[in-house]
Amino acid sequence: MITERKPKNIFTQGPIAATFIADSIQKHATKTNIGGHSIFLGQVRADDINGNKVAAIEYTAYEEMALEKMHQIREDIFAKYPLVCMHVHHSLGKIAAGEVCLFVFTSSAHRKAAIDACTEIVERLKAELPIWGKEVFEDESYQWKENK
Amino acid sequence: MPVQVIVFGQLTDIMGNNPVMVEHAADTSELIEQLNQRYPALVNKPYIIAVDKQIVTGHTALSGNNTVALLPPFAGG
Repeated sequence: MITERKPKNIFTQGPIAATFIADSIQKHATKTNIGGHSIFLGQVRADDINGNKVAAIEYTAYEEMALEKMHQIREDIFAKYPLVCMHVHHSLGKIAAGEVCLFVFTSSAHRKAAIDACTEIVERLKAELPIWGKEVFEDESYQWKENK
Repeated sequence: MPVQVIVFGQLTDIMGNNPVMVEHAADTSELIEQLNQRYPALVNKPYIIAVDKQIVTGHTALSGNNTVALLPPFAGG
């Protein structure tokens, strides 16, 4: 099935609330061709660097470019896996340690496509989207986050 | 033709958060040379270059009224 998909906004100001994630799952109850969901949640980790603890990550992005790139990733993923749907949400702004900053949600008739697609989206998103994170420490000093 | 330069992430510590205008640059190499003179701290910093949101490599010609973005290593997720 080939359908024309428009670029979607993936960015949310502030953290992604657990209630938003729950609502998103609930909305899929009407899509009865789905047999498996896969969800990845990224959470801000309070890394300890030389006794200085990360209190929050402040995310910024080259939004227009990121949305174009994400659209391309979305097209690739739909071409590669038999997904019923996929949703991606990434936070911008200051996200405190313990809060969710990334929500990737894929659904398919059978589990494997959903799981594999979800993993591939997370990997590609981290490698290809122009997004940056400033790790702000408890004493308000900062360093720029590096993806491992 | 003027070129608008925007930077992100750690490069904002060097060039700030506002677009920087460069009056004349025929290609990306000439542009970077000029920026390195204005911002010595930029020399040897890791980044890739996007011209009008497309990632480019080598000497890419600037046709005029381009927006050039300097993108340090991505850190999403």
